[in-house]
Amino acid sequence: MHPILQDWRRFATWMTAWIPVGAILVLVVHLSGRLSYLEASAVMAPAVLVFAFVCLSPFYVCRSLPLRSAPPGRLFANHLAAAVVLSSGVMLIGRFTATMLAGAFPGVEQRYSSAVPVLAVIVLLIYEMAIALHYAALEMESSKRSEILARDAQLKALKAQVNPHFLFNSLNSISALTTIDPALARDMCIRLADFLRTSLRLGERITIPLAEELALTRMYLDVEQVRFGNKLRIVQNVDAACTHCEVPALVIQPLVENAVKHGIAMMAEGGEIAIAGIFHRTHSGAFLQFTIRNPFDPEAPSTGRNGLGLRNIRERLESRYGTAARLDIQAEDRSYQVTLTLPMRVSK
Amino acid sequence: MKLRAVMADDEDLARRVMREYLSQEPDIEIVAECANGFEAVKAINETKPNVIFLDVQMPKLDGFEVLELVDSPSAVVFVTAFDQYAMRAFDAAAVDYLLKPFAVERLRSALDRVRARIREARPIGNPHELKQAARAPGDYLERIVVKDGPRVHVIPAGRLDYAEAQDDYVALRSEGGNWLKQQTISSLEDALDPRRFIRVHRSFLVNVERIARIDANTKDTWVAVLNDGTRVPVSRAGYGKFREIVGAE
Repeated sequence: MHPILQDWRRFATWMTAWIPVGAILVLVVHLSGRLSYLEASAVMAPAVLVFAFVCLSPFYVCRSLPLRSAPPGRLFANHLAAAVVLSSGVMLIGRFTATMLAGAFPGVEQRYSSAVPVLAVIVLLIYEMAIALHYAALEMESSKRSEILARDAQLKALKAQVNPHFLFNSLNSISALTTIDPALARDMCIRLADFLRTSLRLGERITIPLAEELALTRMYLDVEQVRFGNKLRIVQNVDAACTHCEVPALVIQPLVENAVKHGIAMMAEGGEIAIAGIFHRTHSGAFLQFTIRNPFDPEAPSTGRNGLGLRNIRERLESRYGTAARLDIQAEDRSYQVTLTLPMRVSK
Repeated sequence: MKLRAVMADDEDLARRVMREYLSQEPDIEIVAECANGFEAVKAINETKPNVIFLDVQMPKLDGFEVLELVDSPSAVVFVTAFDQYAMRAFDAAAVDYLLKPFAVERLRSALDRVRARIREARPIGNPHELKQAARAPGDYLERIVVKDGPRVHVIPAGRLDYAEAQDDYVALRSEGGNWLKQQTISSLEDALDPRRFIRVHRSFLVNVERIARIDANTKDTWVAVLNDGTRVPVSRAGYGKFREIVGAE
C-alpha cells in the first residue's frame, strides 16, 4: 500500500495539498471555458478528488521501474501510457459531471469542452510532477536506508572490538600459571574462551536482557580476577526488577572494563568497583539507572586513548535512544562514577 | 660476571613468569622486583642494576617515565602486552622488547643482546626521544615527572607556567616552585601540545594561558608578562607564533 494511505495524518496532509491544486484547475476551466467559478467548482470537484488518488498511482509504476536500472525506452513508454490513460480518465469524469449538471447550469457541457485542450495539458503536467515527486521520495528513502545500514554495520564493528591489551595480558597470565598452577591455567583458558565466545555472540544482537549483559560482565571480571588477584574487588547490587530490562548489547561490560583499565589497574594497592542498578518508575515513564564507581589515581600516568570507548558508547546510545538515554560522568577527588540512564518501555 | 637485574611489572603473575625464566639463567641475579613506577625508580637508583625489565603500563609512573628518572642508564628490555606506537619506538631506538606472553627462548635472545650491549658499553637511547616516539600522533604529554631529591614530583602540563633552558637542563616553573630536569627545551617543546605551549624565545617555552599581555620592548623584541608578573623575553619568531595561536582562537 502507498505510504500516504497508511497513515491518516499523512493522508490528511496530502488532501489539504490538493485544495490549491484543485483551485488552479477550477481557475483554468473558468478562464478557458468561460464557466463561472461556481460552475467550474461544481464540475471539477469529483474530477479533482479522483485526480488526488490518481496522482498516488505513480508509486507502483516508479517502484517497478527504478530510474537507475530500468531501460529508458520502457520507462518513457510506460509512464507516457499511464499518463495519457489516467489523464483522459480524469477529463472524462469532468465531462460526465458537466453532462449531469447541464440541467442546473445551461450550456455548461459545451463550455467545458472548449476548456478541455488547456485543461488536458495542465492535468498531464500535474501528473508528470507526481511521477517526479515519487522518484525523488523513493531516492531519498533508499539513501536513508543505506545510511542506516552503514551505521548499523559501523555499530556492529564498534561493538566487536576486544581490547588487545586485555587479551594479551590474559594470555600472559595463563602462560605464568602453566607451571605455577596448571589447573588454574586451564580454568583461566576456559574463562577467557567463555568471555570471548559470549561477547562475539551478544555483539551480533542489538539489545539483550540486562541479565545477559551482567553475565558477560561477570565472565570478564572472572578473567581479570586471576590477573589482579585481591587488587580487584567487586561489589554488585542490582535490583531484581532490572534483570529483564532490554539494554543495548555490550554497553555495561565495556564500562566495567574501563573501570578496571583506567581505575584499578593504575592503583598500586588496587580497589573496589561498585556496580549498582535500579529500576525507576515515574509519571513520565520508567527508566533503568546503572552506576559503576571505581577509585582512580588522579596522578596516574596516561593510559592512552582515553575516552574513545566512552564516545563510542555515547554514539551508540544516541543512535538508538536519541536524547532519552544519558551517560553521565562524575570524577571526584579519587572516585570516578559513570551513570547510565536508559528509558524503558513498561508493559501495561 | 653476574648480571644484576631489576624487574618492574604491576601484575604478580607477570613477575612470576619472568622470575621463573630468569632463574634458569645462571648469570642473572634479580636484585629487585617492583610493582609500580615509584618503586622501580627507587630500586634502580639504589641497586644500580645492569639490566632492567620494564613494563610499559604501570601505576604511578609508566616505563618511559621511570627511564627519565633513573641516574645510571643500564640496558633496558621493555615488556608490554600490546602497544603499536611503543613497539615502533622500541624498533627505532634499538632497545629490545618482549611481547607478552613470550617464550623463554625469546627472553634468552634479549639477554644475548643485553650482554653484547654491556660489553660494548653502548649507551641506551635518550629516554625523552623514546617516549616521544612511543606516543600516538596527536597525543601530547599530559604531565612532566621530575626528581625531587629521593622523591618523584609530578607536574600536570596545565600547571606548568613556563620552562627555561639552562645548559643541559630545563628549569620548570609551576605553582610558585622551581624544578630542574635534565632535558633539552626542544625535546620538551616537541612533547607538549603546541596549541598550549609556545616557544616564545630560544630559551623560553611558555604556557599560553599564563600570558597576561605582550609588551613591545625594542624594535624587534617583545616581553611577555605572565599572570604572576614574571617577564619573559619574546623573539620576533616567538611573537609570530603567539599571534598565530591567539589569532586562530
